[in-house]
Amino acid sequence: MRFVRRYLLPRFIQYVLVIFLGITAVFFIPRFTPSDPVQRTIAELQSHGSYLDPGSIDEMVEDLREMYGLEGSMLEQYGAFWKRVFTGDFGVSFFQFPTPVMDLIRMSLPWTAGLLLWATLLSWIVGNLLGGLAGYYARSRWSRALDTVAMVVRPMPYYIFALSLLILFTYVVRLFPIAGGTDIGRKAAFNWKFIADVLRHAFLPALSMIVLGVATTFQTMKLIVQNVNAEDFVQYAKLGGVKERRIVSRYVIRNAMLPQITNLALALGQILSGALITEIVFSYPGLGSLLFNAIVTGDYNLIMGITALSILAITSAILLIDLVYPLFDPRVRLM
Amino acid sequence: MWRKHWCLALAVAVALSLPLVGVSQLADLPRSETLIMSILTGRVGTPGNFNEWVGWKWRDRGMQNLANEPLWSIDFATGEIVNGLAAGDPVYDSNFFHVEIPLREGVTWSDGTPFTADDVVFTVELLMDTPGFNNHAFFAENVELVYKLGDYRVGFDLKTANSRFHTTFLDRWGCTWIMPKHIFEDVEDPVTFEFDPFVGCGPYKLHSYDPAGYWTVWEKRDDWANSPTGILYGEPKPTYIVLQAFANEGAKIVAQLTHQLDGVDLSAEGLKAALAQGDTVRAYQLSFPWVVNNDPAITGFIFNTAKAPYDNPDVRWALTLAIDIVEYAGQAVDGMGTLSPVHIPSLGSYPANFIKPMEDWLEAFTLDLGNGETFQPYDPDAPAGVVAYARSRGYIVSDDPAAQEQAFGLGWFKYAPEAAAKLLEKNGFSQDAEGNWLLPDGTPWRIEVVSRSDTSHLEFKNASAAVQQWKQFGIDAVHVPTDAAATLTQNGDFDIAGNWPAQEPWGAGPDLYRTLNAWNSTYVRPIGELTNGNHSRWSSPEMDEVLADLRATDPADTAATIALGIEGLKIAFTEMPGTPTFGYIGFVTWDEYYWTNWPGAENSYIGPYAHWGTFKYMTPFLEPTGN
Repeated sequence: MRFVRRYLLPRFIQYVLVIFLGITAVFFIPRFTPSDPVQRTIAELQSHGSYLDPGSIDEMVEDLREMYGLEGSMLEQYGAFWKRVFTGDFGVSFFQFPTPVMDLIRMSLPWTAGLLLWATLLSWIVGNLLGGLAGYYARSRWSRALDTVAMVVRPMPYYIFALSLLILFTYVVRLFPIAGGTDIGRKAAFNWKFIADVLRHAFLPALSMIVLGVATTFQTMKLIVQNVNAEDFVQYAKLGGVKERRIVSRYVIRNAMLPQITNLALALGQILSGALITEIVFSYPGLGSLLFNAIVTGDYNLIMGITALSILAITSAILLIDLVYPLFDPRVRLM
Repeated sequence: MWRKHWCLALAVAVALSLPLVGVSQLADLPRSETLIMSILTGRVGTPGNFNEWVGWKWRDRGMQNLANEPLWSIDFATGEIVNGLAAGDPVYDSNFFHVEIPLREGVTWSDGTPFTADDVVFTVELLMDTPGFNNHAFFAENVELVYKLGDYRVGFDLKTANSRFHTTFLDRWGCTWIMPKHIFEDVEDPVTFEFDPFVGCGPYKLHSYDPAGYWTVWEKRDDWANSPTGILYGEPKPTYIVLQAFANEGAKIVAQLTHQLDGVDLSAEGLKAALAQGDTVRAYQLSFPWVVNNDPAITGFIFNTAKAPYDNPDVRWALTLAIDIVEYAGQAVDGMGTLSPVHIPSLGSYPANFIKPMEDWLEAFTLDLGNGETFQPYDPDAPAGVVAYARSRGYIVSDDPAAQEQAFGLGWFKYAPEAAAKLLEKNGFSQDAEGNWLLPDGTPWRIEVVSRSDTSHLEFKNASAAVQQWKQFGIDAVHVPTDAAATLTQNGDFDIAGNWPAQEPWGAGPDLYRTLNAWNSTYVRPIGELTNGNHSRWSSPEMDEVLADLRATDPADTAATIALGIEGLKIAFTEMPGTPTFGYIGFVTWDEYYWTNWPGAENSYIGPYAHWGTFKYMTPFLEPTGN
């Protein structure tokens, strides 16, 4: 009971509060920017070449305000917004009117989730595995070689690294497609041709993220393991004749994993924010460019939809990790 | 033993990877019969929605440029208006309350249904009756009644006299398109209807599209001969046309250099890179300045004339004369722009119809500098300065005066900082000991020049160049690139903006009503409210009179329309609510590996852009190379 009161309950309250405040901020912040979505829509239509008769624009503005749900005071709009949020309805996209925001998210989410989920998990697993072993066997030649590679790769700006991969594998050595999520003219179907096509297009974006992700995780894990390795309890275990494999897996890696599990949860929660630079470099579909375009076009509803889901995902991931943390770290259970 | 396992694992991995490797991006389309062009407006946000009458639907993904036909199209390359679904010009009555439009016979929609006057009547009635369509307000405000006068003739009774009503159907990068009645009449909610698959009267029909929005494939109709394109120009050559989006310019260039992209719009830097590295890549012009310089838009900057000191024409003229256009054009576009001293671009028929007839007036135009001094600002030699700049950069420029005139324009304004200073001093401005300009109240003069934040956009480039010039002149000018530029200028929350100094003209024909009407005084609103006209918020009773006369003039009366257009341009020139600099520049490259006979400057049979409606008229002229 004490554990529930002192550990679980505060975290649930924090969870609900963060979501409430986050989504509230998401509602108000775009409304305090100088960009008016109706004017923005008209300007975008005009800048995309649409000639709107100047004499008809006033009536068009009124029509759009009504259809966008922008009538009434900000407080009334805020109340209506929360009612819709509880039903999972973020309204229609202003710029891509009248497409519902959730339809747009549903369209982009599978690409982002498919790419980032695998890239995040693979980077985490490979990075921790290599980092853990390299940290424990820090003086070996292969450990130092891996460290050198990581030191070269990790500081590279992601954009430059990704662009280099693109040029290397699509222009110098023409192995992979330049853009998109599938071949041109390919219709979606559940067969090997389609799956291979999707994998082929995802290869370079995934590679760019995995290489840098592995390097980052590798270095972090290596440092943590080196620190844990120097702890007294590890030294005692060695002196006490505990088998090295057991020391590595139970004493060192297990302790070193605690912060890495937190990092993984946060990284998975951030998947819903998309990977904008990856999407831009490889012309790959996803939530990142959807959110970017929503910001550029002043599409409040779409911004709110994506960021609200992102807030929900990140806070849920943090809550989840808080809930399972006692399983990994017995000290928490003693709180 | 472990080596064996590793080798086996490696072999399996390589075998599994083989299907993943390969350069072609086309699934089952024969490359030699497929034309691949980039989408100007980028990745399609709503790939499954083709209802282009509602909101923004990325219509240059193939709807407006391949699969649809308007009643009329502007072709800015030839200066012609092409009859698409219309069989001829509109016929107005003498007081412009009634107009009749003859329609083309023998056209069918891509599903085989004949196109008739019923489609036009249905479209207009639906747009009038249904809020949610972009043009609902226009038709509801203008049309009293629409009716058929036979299967191939429609009549409109208008609520007010409007001699330009028909231009809503004139495609200049968009217009009111006709809906297929047989499809839309059965739809419960035509606003949310997605119209997938798209059905149009153009020569191509929808083949497939990327649910993620990166490509759309169009296939030549078997009955292409029943489209206006087929009737007018013959059979389109490509069997398939792909319109593809790229999220970054590097990918576009790589795609073109590897023959995976036949036509593309780039930045100035991108164009140079593609030309330098691609053996089969060409630009619109075969030599400097390479660019498409006949796009019917004039760039420059606008003053907020509702705000002091920019409400004073002397100040606007002073800031214009403080610009060295050779330096300015060099900095903004490396000397590639075609200069224009008036508020229309120097292209197509505009120089002959408007700018040349105005030259005597332009040269005689005189500014009062105060203290009895006057100054004549027009400089017909300004383009020669840009030519000299280009040559100093190592570019080869033709010696032919006609070619130079076409590429660099007929004239601009003298670089006259002394005259600019006198104009300012006449109005109470002064300079401090360091030469910095002070406002009439003695406070430092700071100018914020807003523009959109996209560095490759000509609004940005104009703003940036203007700021440099005004800094040299001693004004504390700053460039404020912002994504909110559109809202700020619409609401009048700015000093000066990198922007189009005038509404873009049609690009063909002699009518400047579209340009001049943006200065209609009825559209001007106080600062803080959305203005429907030009964002400079300038208007004048004289311009209103010209507009009233134009409204009462049949646009088919060429002589009268041109005379009134010149009158309007003179008023705008005198007041200078925005300063025109150079025409819009398109950085287009074409790869001639698979397709040739592109409409370059030396063979300008149709507009060069794939994103304009006239692209479909280009397709019968393209020639496969056999590769």
